[in-house]
Amino acid sequence: MKDEAVTREDRVASLKGMGCSRKRVEDARFTQGKGNYVDDIKLDGMLFGDFVRSPYAHAKITNIDTSAAMEVPGVLAVLTAADLAPLGLHWMPTLAGDKQMVLADGKVLFQGQEVAFVVAEDRYAAADGIEAVEVEYEELPVIVDPFEALQSDVVLRPDTVGEDGSPADGAHGPRKHHNHIFTWECGDKDPTEQVISNAEVVAEESMYYHRTHPCPLETCGCVASMDKVNGKLTLWGTFQAPHAIRTVVSLISGIEEHNIRVISPDIGGGFGNKVGAYPGYVCSVVASIVTGKPVKWIEDRMDNLMTTAFARDYWMKGRISATKDGKITGLHCHVTADHGGFDACADPTKFPAGFMNICTGSYDIPTAFLEVDGVYTNKAPGGVSYRCSFRVTEAVYFIERMIEVLAIELDMDASELRKINFIKKEQFPYKAALGWEYDSGDYHTAWDKAMKAVDYDGLRAEQKQRIEDFKAGKTRKLLGIGLTHFTEIVGAGPVKNCDILGLGMFDSCEIRIHPTGSAIARLGTISQGQGHATTFAQILASEIGLPADSITIEEGDTDTAPYGLGTYGSRSTPVAGAATAMAGRKIRAKAQMIAAYLLEVHDDDVEFDVDRFVVKGAPEKFKTMKEIAFAAYNQAIPGVEPGLEAVSYYDPPNMTYPFGAYVCVMEIDVDTGVTDIRQFYALDDCGTRINPMIIEGQIHGGLTEALAVALGQEIAYDDMGNVKTGTLMDFFLPTAWEVPNYETDHTVTPSPHHPIGAKGVGESPHVGGVPCFSNAVHDAFRAFGLRQTNMPHDHWRIWRTANELGLHD
Amino acid sequence: MELADEIIINAPKDQVYAALNDPKVLKQCIPGCEELIQHSDTELEAKVVLKVGPVKARFGGEVTLDKSGAPDAFSLSGQGNGGTAGHAKGGADVTLTADGDTTILKYVAKAQIGGKIAQLGSRLIQSTAKKLAGRFFTSFAKVMEDA
Repeated sequence: MKDEAVTREDRVASLKGMGCSRKRVEDARFTQGKGNYVDDIKLDGMLFGDFVRSPYAHAKITNIDTSAAMEVPGVLAVLTAADLAPLGLHWMPTLAGDKQMVLADGKVLFQGQEVAFVVAEDRYAAADGIEAVEVEYEELPVIVDPFEALQSDVVLRPDTVGEDGSPADGAHGPRKHHNHIFTWECGDKDPTEQVISNAEVVAEESMYYHRTHPCPLETCGCVASMDKVNGKLTLWGTFQAPHAIRTVVSLISGIEEHNIRVISPDIGGGFGNKVGAYPGYVCSVVASIVTGKPVKWIEDRMDNLMTTAFARDYWMKGRISATKDGKITGLHCHVTADHGGFDACADPTKFPAGFMNICTGSYDIPTAFLEVDGVYTNKAPGGVSYRCSFRVTEAVYFIERMIEVLAIELDMDASELRKINFIKKEQFPYKAALGWEYDSGDYHTAWDKAMKAVDYDGLRAEQKQRIEDFKAGKTRKLLGIGLTHFTEIVGAGPVKNCDILGLGMFDSCEIRIHPTGSAIARLGTISQGQGHATTFAQILASEIGLPADSITIEEGDTDTAPYGLGTYGSRSTPVAGAATAMAGRKIRAKAQMIAAYLLEVHDDDVEFDVDRFVVKGAPEKFKTMKEIAFAAYNQAIPGVEPGLEAVSYYDPPNMTYPFGAYVCVMEIDVDTGVTDIRQFYALDDCGTRINPMIIEGQIHGGLTEALAVALGQEIAYDDMGNVKTGTLMDFFLPTAWEVPNYETDHTVTPSPHHPIGAKGVGESPHVGGVPCFSNAVHDAFRAFGLRQTNMPHDHWRIWRTANELGLHD
Repeated sequence: MELADEIIINAPKDQVYAALNDPKVLKQCIPGCEELIQHSDTELEAKVVLKVGPVKARFGGEVTLDKSGAPDAFSLSGQGNGGTAGHAKGGADVTLTADGDTTILKYVAKAQIGGKIAQLGSRLIQSTAKKLAGRFFTSFAKVMEDA
C-alpha cells in the first residue's frame, strides 16, 4: 500500500466508489442460473397450497362443499373462511386502513377472489383438489364502473354500512355513499375557483389513466414454516418490505415479533406488486400451523394479473388557467379513483391518493386544488405504485397532458409554454401550491439541453412539412413529437408525515468492519433487481475508504438486517442510501481517533484522504483504513472500545425531487395505427450519480415499462366483471421487437439535504416515459384537431382516432 | 356474444320440430354431451364436456324450452356451470320454415360467458361456438336424413 508509484487517482479507482460504472456483483449468479428465488426453496415434507377462486365478479356464496376435495389423493386440508373465522383471520387489514377478506366471507367482490385454500402434497394434487371443491354462488349485479357505483343502490360492502344504513366513516373520514371510500382534498378550493373563473384562458380536459399491472416476471409467493417445537415461524417470500411484513404478521397472528423470521430471497422484479400483504401469505402461515409442515404458495400468471396489485385506474378531470401570454395562474384536479372491492392501496397512511398532490409538476403554479374520491367496484383490489412513487405516474401524466391541452388552447408551442412556466433555479427550495417543498432543480438547463440534443426546431419544421405532404396525399404517415418534463417526489419519507400502518418510513444500515479490512453492511431495504449489493457498496467505499469489492451487502433477512421499510417508491437510495452514508461516517469518525492514536497526533491533526487518514501537512504520514481496521480489533487503545461497527437509522428531513426532460419522436401510420418510435431521448437528473451503468439500465427498463403502459398494456374488464387480459396472450409485455433505441443523458443537481446528494432514479423513466409516449401520439394528431384520446394507444385505438378525425375519408 | 345462421335440413318441418324436442336426438348431436335428462316437457338437464382453447371442463346445466311458437318456432334458454372453468348462460330462438320437402332452420343465439373460460378463451370463444353449432347441425341433418 505504501508504494509511491500509486497515485491518488489510482487509489480512488481501486475503491470502485461513487461515480464508477462498477459491474453488478449480483449478475454472476443471475446469469448462471444460480439465483435463489422463493420457488427454489424446497424443504423436507413441504406442502403446496393453492386457491379456489371465484369465477364471478359479484356473488353471494350459499354453500362450500369441500368433502369431495378431501377425497382427492394428496389433499390434506381445505381452508375456508369458516375455518379462519375462529382465529379472526378471515379478514385482514389492508395497507390503506381498510380490511380485506382473506377467504370469501359470504360473498365475493371480484373475479379471481380467494374462496378456499387447498393444501396438498404437491401442486398437482392441489390443482385436482381445487376442481373438486363445490361452491354454490348466487349471482349479484356487477358494477365495474366507478361512476355507476356512486349512483347504484347495490351495496358492494355491507361491512362498511353503519347501523342506521348510512355509510359508516372510513379510514379517511366521512363517506358520501355506500360505495364511496374517501374524499381527499388538498390545496385552496375557493381561491382556485376564483382564479380560474377570472382567468383570460382556461383549458379543460378529462382523461382516464387506465388500469394496468406491474406484472413482474416472478409472480408473488411464499413458503411458511412453523416450527412448533421452538415456536418460531419462518416466512420466505417475495416481499418488497420484509420488516413491515414481519410486523404485520405479528399483529395479525399474535405471534411475538421475535418469534417470526421473514426472509426475502432473490426477487425477480417487484415494481410495487410485492409491497402489500396478500391472502396467500396468511393462508400459508395458517396451513403451516395447522399441518405442522412447511407450506408453499406461488401464484401462476393468471392469479398474478387478476388478483394481486393492479395499478392506476384514475379518472382525472382538470382545469388549468393562464394569461394570454401563457403564464399559468391556477390548476384544478378532480380524480375518481377506482379501488376495486377493497381499498388495498399501498400509500403512506396520511395520503389516501399517494402523492397525487405533486400534480402541479415542474411548473410555478401559484394556486391549485386537488380532490380525490375513492370508490369501490367489482374489480380486484390494489392500487399499487407500479414503478413509481405513490401515484406520481398519475400526477405527472395529468399535468403533462394538461400542459399540452393548454398549449392547444393558447395556440402556442408546447415547449415554449413549459419554459415560460418552469420553476426557476433560484426559486429552490420551492414551496408548491399543494404543499410539497421541492429540494432542488434546474429545469431550464435540462430542458434547453434536451431541445438542443434533438434539434427541436428542426423536428418541428419536419413535422410542418409532413403535415403539408399528408394533406397533399404524398404520405400516409404522421410525425409526433412527444415532450415531457417531469418532477418526481420520491424517498418516502420523513417520519413526521410518512408512515404505513403506523410504521415510520425511516430506513437503516448496519456496518461491521472485519479486522482484515473487509466489511459487511446490512440494510432495511431489499433489492428486486436494482443492484443494491453493487451500489450500496460503492457508497460505502467512498465513505469509508475500503474497496467496494471488499464489502458484502446483505438485505432481506429480518433476523439479521436492521429494521427498515423496504424498497419501493425509489426510496432505497434516498433513505437507506443516506443511512449507509451516515453509518459510514460513524465508522470514519472512530477510525479517525484510532488513526490519530497510531500516528501519535491529536484527532484534529489527521484528515481523511480516499482510503486513509493522513497527518495534516505531512501526507507521507498516514494509516490506511485497512491498517486502522486491524488496529481497531487488535490493539489496546486507551479510551476506545475494540471493534469497528456502526448503525444508522435515517429519518429523511424531506423527500427528494428527481426530474428529467424527455422527447419521443414517433411515426404513425394512419391507415394501420402502427407506431414506430424513431427517437427517444431521456435526460435524467437524479442528483449525485452512484453508478452510471446501473442508472442507464434503470432508465432502459423504466422506459420499456412506460412504453408498455402507454401503448398497449391494460387490465380490462367486460361488463360481467370478467378480466379480459388475464394472460400474457392479451396483456402486453414488450419484447426486444417492440423496444426502440434509447438515448440517455443527464444533468446533476444534487439534493441539498441528502448526505451524498443522491435522489433516486429507478422510477423516473417510467414516470416521465408514459406521458412522453402518449404526448407523441397526441402531438401527431394535434394539427387535425385531437385534444385527448385515452391510453393505451394500441394500434386499434390509434386507427380509431385517425378514423374519428376523418383521416380515412 | 351472438351467433346466427341458417341451415337447410332434408326433412319435413314437423319431423324437424319433433326431433329438436327429442332428448335422444339432441344427446346424439350436441358435441360433448354425456347426459341429457328430461325432467318435464320443457325442462332438461345436461352434462356436456366443453373445450375452449386450453380449458377443458365438464359443464352441468339446465335448459328450459319455450314451445309456445310450435311448430314454426321455439326458444330455449339455459345456464351452465363448469366449476373452476367458468360458467355460461344464454338462449336461442329457432324458426322453422317449410320449403317443399325440406326445412329451413334459422337460429339466433346469445350467450354470456364468465370465469376462466372467458378469460383464456376470449379470442377463441366466437370461433369455438361457431364450430360447435356447425357440428351440432351437421350431426342433426345427418340424423334426419338417416331417419
